[in-house]
Amino acid sequence: MLREEELKTFVDGTTRYFEVAAQQPATIGSPYLLEGEPAMHDYTGIISVSGKREGVVYFTAPRAMLTVLLMKMQENDFSHESMRDLVGEVANTISGNARRDFGHDFVISVPNVLTGDKPEIPHKPGARSFVIPINWRSHSAKLVVSLT
Amino acid sequence: MQLSGTDRNRRFLAAGAAVAVVAVMALVLIAGFRLATRIRASVSALQTTSVLQTYPAVISQQLAALRGQLDTLEYSGRVHGELAATVADFNKDFATIERRHDLDPAAIHRAQTLWRSYQPALAPVLAFSGEPYDDTDTGSSLSSSGRVYYDQVRRAAIFAAENATVLHRQLAILSASLQARTSAAAARLRTLLFVGVLTVLALAMAALYLQLARGRHERAAREAQEQTRDILKTVREGFFLLDADYRIGSVWSEALTRLFGRSDFAGLDFEELLRNKVSPETLATAVKYIKLLWGERARESLMKSINPLGQLEVSMDNGRGGRESRYLQFDFHRVMGPKGVKHVLCAVGDITSNVLLARELQEAQENAHSQLDMMVGMLHADPLQVSTFLDSASAGLKHVNTILKEPARTDAEFRKKLAGLSRELHSIKGEASALNLMSIAQRVHHLEDMVGELKGKSELTGNDFLPVVLKLDELLAHLRGVREMTARLVTLKDGSPEPGATMSVPQLRVVPTEQPGAPSATERPARAAGDLATMLQQLAAKLAQDHGKRITLTLSGLAEVPDAYLATVKDCVIQMLRNAAVHGIEPSEARRATAKPEVGEVRVDFHRSEKGYELLFQDDGAGLSPEALKRAAVRKNILTGEEAAALDNRAALALIFRPGFSTREEVSMDAGRGVGMDVIARAVYALGGKIGVSTNPGRFTRFKIALPEARQAPAVA
Repeated sequence: MLREEELKTFVDGTTRYFEVAAQQPATIGSPYLLEGEPAMHDYTGIISVSGKREGVVYFTAPRAMLTVLLMKMQENDFSHESMRDLVGEVANTISGNARRDFGHDFVISVPNVLTGDKPEIPHKPGARSFVIPINWRSHSAKLVVSLT
Repeated sequence: MQLSGTDRNRRFLAAGAAVAVVAVMALVLIAGFRLATRIRASVSALQTTSVLQTYPAVISQQLAALRGQLDTLEYSGRVHGELAATVADFNKDFATIERRHDLDPAAIHRAQTLWRSYQPALAPVLAFSGEPYDDTDTGSSLSSSGRVYYDQVRRAAIFAAENATVLHRQLAILSASLQARTSAAAARLRTLLFVGVLTVLALAMAALYLQLARGRHERAAREAQEQTRDILKTVREGFFLLDADYRIGSVWSEALTRLFGRSDFAGLDFEELLRNKVSPETLATAVKYIKLLWGERARESLMKSINPLGQLEVSMDNGRGGRESRYLQFDFHRVMGPKGVKHVLCAVGDITSNVLLARELQEAQENAHSQLDMMVGMLHADPLQVSTFLDSASAGLKHVNTILKEPARTDAEFRKKLAGLSRELHSIKGEASALNLMSIAQRVHHLEDMVGELKGKSELTGNDFLPVVLKLDELLAHLRGVREMTARLVTLKDGSPEPGATMSVPQLRVVPTEQPGAPSATERPARAAGDLATMLQQLAAKLAQDHGKRITLTLSGLAEVPDAYLATVKDCVIQMLRNAAVHGIEPSEARRATAKPEVGEVRVDFHRSEKGYELLFQDDGAGLSPEALKRAAVRKNILTGEEAAALDNRAALALIFRPGFSTREEVSMDAGRGVGMDVIARAVYALGGKIGVSTNPGRFTRFKIALPEARQAPAVA
């Protein structure tokens, strides 16, 4: 069973990114369990986890949210590539936070970026998916932790 | 490092020996110097006496020569002068001898007497100063004074010739005496030097021995120190001493560095050691305890038993920029000195792995127990009932997840979820308890506790719901386990091949109630009513046992319950039955005291009415006290004192249908959350029904639920 502190590590990694990059912290909404197919947004940064836990952790965000985030970061390039880079960075921050807290217990892959609302998520059988809404300004993204 | 008594003695001895060597050498040198000085003076005196011994003969010779010159009328002035010089030298040297105190005074006196006897003879001779001759043309002759002088010389010469030997002998005796004394002094000097050298040698040997012994001891001490250092370097526990100011001493084991991630322990305050690693409350308790350790009267065994740091959770830097929780065990031992507690020895161990292992073991044991309880419960339960419950519970938990999924950003939006969560969970718990599936009931109860705690928080955020969703996940996993076990039990009972491997349970999916071996649709109402009756009887028996009551449950008309109302009727009766067992039916002693039958009676009757159906629930318990209900409402902040006072009895009884209302102070599995009656009231209203309550304090409580005609029979939810 996933422990609360493990879940919090991924959540903190995500909210911290907003705090550092945009000087405006994100808050989390009401967490719930995923039923059926995940509702994906336009851009998804995903990391694979193996070792003590196995599965994936991904951050999926709508284009509108990423655009505002880039603006807050004083960026002028709102291209597809910039969006991809941004979710990749968020996933990288989540990964760094997990490495810092879990050390060698978790083996974490480099982030991969998926686009579109129906990307192929490598779901690990038996892994329960926790969905944590990430609210920032008026936008909402999702952090999904799917680990055995 | 402190010295033992033997070490101190040895050091004192070595120092004493060195001082003694110096003192003896000083004494020998001083005494030797004095003796040598005396010997030198004696030698000098000896030389003088040797010279003195020659003077009597010289005086005799000079007097004889003077007489001869006077006889021959030769010039006598030179010899007279030499005689005077000899006499003066004698007097001078003799005076030197006389001043010595180490000579025999009698011998000196005798020599003095003899020499004084020379004076009458010598003095006139020496006093002569004229010319002894008269010179004429015919020649020279003695003058008148010359003749006198000649007689005096002659007499003096005779005297000197007669006494020279005696005087010489006496002076020789003095010389011999001096020689003897000088020899004795020289012998003493030799002895002194010999003894001195021996003493110095002896002391030097003693000092050398002590020095060697000290060297041996220092080597041993160095080795001991090295061993202590090795121990402190290698030992896995952190050791240090605390002084009376609660500061860490200068020696500690290296494990402390690993345990606390710092190395500046010397002089560090104990409070500082734990600051920012534990909560302020724990820190305050720890400091208070340390102070108690210095109390003379506190018994060590007692202090050990109240040690608040036996298992201390601390937040440490994990070395990668993050923090991690570790469990430390502090052990304290008082080091006693002659004036009471001298130090407190602290031993710190990292027991994180032990604690985690114990926790896993406990979880495993709890799981094993709950599995066993669950198996025992399921063996007594009808698999169909369990399956129906699991469907219902899955649906309920799906609803819980739906409530969680509703978007929320503000405290109000988060808070809005709580009531719905409580109602849903309470309902599931009630059914699980009724079926005696305690492993499920306890888990739901725990989840209810979490939701209850959230109600008390001043501001809610999404973070507060993380443990709730994790617990929900755990509960769903447990339900899957129960479902698999039910399937296996059914297989065992039927003797058919085990389908467990293929019976996967979708997440949060309502499993169709139509299963192999289940009754057909036409059989189901009768079967369901029978199941409900059995379940309610089991619940009544369990509640009676849990609360130390004796209860008889009489059921009638349950077969008449339409499918559409079955779930609601079941929920209502379960909730009212629990209320009756907890609040209504009195213990046997109390009932005896009020002339009631010892066994409490609960009656449930379902029947058709003019407008549809009616469910009557009545217990012959203590009834409801409007005043007690008002007091509870005020205590729970549902009403103010004034509002409560303004209520009539009917309105006071209606309080039990308010959300959050309970007369119980403590929360238990069966009552106290104030969730229950409001749930069934909502369920009844949702079906278009009504619910009413009447009571006679001390005699009975009666609930009447009126339901309209059932329109259709939905699937079991």
